[in-house]
Amino acid sequence: MKLNLSEHSRITLVKYLISFILTMVLGGLLVLVQGESPVEAVKAIVVGAFGSKINIGNSIRWSIPCMIAGAAATVAFRSGVMNLGLEGQIYFGAISGALAGAYVSLPHVPHVVICIVAAGLAGALYTLLPAFLRLFFKVDEMITTLMLNFVATLMTEYITIWFIMGGNMSANGSASIATPQISRTAELSTIVKGTTANTGFFIGVTTLLLIAFFFKYTVQGYSARQAGQNMSFAKVGGVNVLRNYISMFLVSGFIAGMCGGIEVSGSYHRFTANFSPNLGWEGMMVTRVAENNPIALIFVSFIWGVLKAGSMHMERVTTLNRLTVNLIQMFFVILVSIDYDLLFRAAQEKFRKRREKKEVAL
Amino acid sequence: MSLAEVLSVLFDSMIFAAAFRMATPMVLAGVSGAFSRSTGVFNIAFECFMLTGAFFAAAGSYFSGSPYIGALCAMIVGMLMAALFGLCVFVLKANPMIISIALNSGAWAMTTLLLLKIFKIRGRILDPRIKNYTPIHFEFLENIPYLNEIFNDQLGIVYFAYIFAIVCYIVMYKTYFGLRLRGIGINAVGAQTAGVNISRYRWVTLLFMGMFSGLAGSYMPLSGLSMFSESMTSGRGFLSFAAILVGKGNPIKIALVSLLFAYADALTLTLTSYGLPTQILHTLPYVAVILVMFFSCLRFFKGSAEI
Repeated sequence: MKLNLSEHSRITLVKYLISFILTMVLGGLLVLVQGESPVEAVKAIVVGAFGSKINIGNSIRWSIPCMIAGAAATVAFRSGVMNLGLEGQIYFGAISGALAGAYVSLPHVPHVVICIVAAGLAGALYTLLPAFLRLFFKVDEMITTLMLNFVATLMTEYITIWFIMGGNMSANGSASIATPQISRTAELSTIVKGTTANTGFFIGVTTLLLIAFFFKYTVQGYSARQAGQNMSFAKVGGVNVLRNYISMFLVSGFIAGMCGGIEVSGSYHRFTANFSPNLGWEGMMVTRVAENNPIALIFVSFIWGVLKAGSMHMERVTTLNRLTVNLIQMFFVILVSIDYDLLFRAAQEKFRKRREKKEVAL
Repeated sequence: MSLAEVLSVLFDSMIFAAAFRMATPMVLAGVSGAFSRSTGVFNIAFECFMLTGAFFAAAGSYFSGSPYIGALCAMIVGMLMAALFGLCVFVLKANPMIISIALNSGAWAMTTLLLLKIFKIRGRILDPRIKNYTPIHFEFLENIPYLNEIFNDQLGIVYFAYIFAIVCYIVMYKTYFGLRLRGIGINAVGAQTAGVNISRYRWVTLLFMGMFSGLAGSYMPLSGLSMFSESMTSGRGFLSFAAILVGKGNPIKIALVSLLFAYADALTLTLTSYGLPTQILHTLPYVAVILVMFFSCLRFFKGSAEI
């Protein structure tokens, strides 16, 4: 058992190493093609991410949404819920967080809590329709959640224009379609002065630790994991798959909504139409890179934050665009998703067969 | 609005003409994707194939001055992206969903970056040097009043999409190739035992899908706009995926479902002039997907929740 475990972690380590090296090579080529030196680019990213207190703050700030969206995806994917609607849930979370922040007045701590809980509830409510359709009508939740993403982006824009800005269409461009600023009491405190790195970081870490604990040490978590691996097997084994499905769907939506709420309360301080730079999808990819492991997710999202903050700096000091880093991240996601274990074993098998053939020939 | 007015809007020939036209990318991507889908491959990278296709169609048309060269570029690039998907999923055994998501996001980054590098523009390019597809005029339609407005003078690629759907229907249901393909979808192991080379079928259908999804992407910049903008496909790829699910892999049904979605989309064109909020109108195609899924699954209703 012990040996088995160590082998698994060895394979994981080798996998990350190979992916990292290959990503570096591919990324280096990508930078070279654009006529810049890869060393300079890496230097710029490192300086941008760790160069000063403010830079570190920026790295933390960008790791927060990744972490929480990743947490939502982890909960869903580990328990067999195909929730591809994180983006939509984030939008509804963000708008209700912004409204709770702007129109409720409370002292600091309860106000922040109300904001984030309101955001979470909105996100959870937004999963009800796909869950209901799946359970009663067998409509694939994947497609409904996908479609609801687009609906959410448009609906929140609609709500903002017609109900909050009072149909004042003088605004041009989506940047100015926004809810009023939230009150000071609803803002999450910053942890690094001069940046928007906020206490949402601790909320994210706590959420992930709770998720890790839930899946590892509780009966419900164990059943959820079983259902995620094989729904019918879990059913036969006596797991209440129905309750598991609906509760995990709601929890995943709740966390995604929280992600939106924390973005608003911690960084933007208002809801702006089309604010999210693909946070939901990014969360899913981060989860995949971390192999659905909540603890690994903390580190991976931090790396993601580092890359984001670093790439913004890189864009300023070199001629490279920050999209280059986006592309390199995609390389990494793709390379990490490769099943090296299987490939390795297949290669081994081939090698063994060839040797056997040789022996027979001899 | 009175009832007569509503009806006249809903059955306006202009809306039908727009729906007929706007369904093109969804028909092309959906029908070609159905082949890949029927071999049991999970793939939601339509958005990637279409977006890269759209970019290279615009670029090809810009540099060569011919939309058909652009379409060819789009098809080749779509096929290359599909080959990348195949390499990751079939050869390297990666999770198809994550590869799809990564490719979709990567396609956005790549096209925006290329736009910046080649045309030195961020966001979108609008240039008359991007030559559009040309409309085809049918003389025999001129005398039929209502249909003339809908079907006449559409772009060549529009007619091609529907012919393509019919041909694909015949291939899927009337040939040995299609029979084997559907066999793989129903029972992959069984098909393999019967001597079908599954891997080859998967590769062929995947590349086919990439090729025509790329062509589907070429419709958007070359349909008279002379424009490419970042994330131009805006969910059309996901709509094609939905059309495949609703149409259950049948090319004719997929084309009809795509027409329905395109109709919902086309309604936005005229209904905005009645003062209805644009955002709500733009949700119509997505809402249509959910409604169609709901109605097509009504028969599963048993009165209690089940999984």
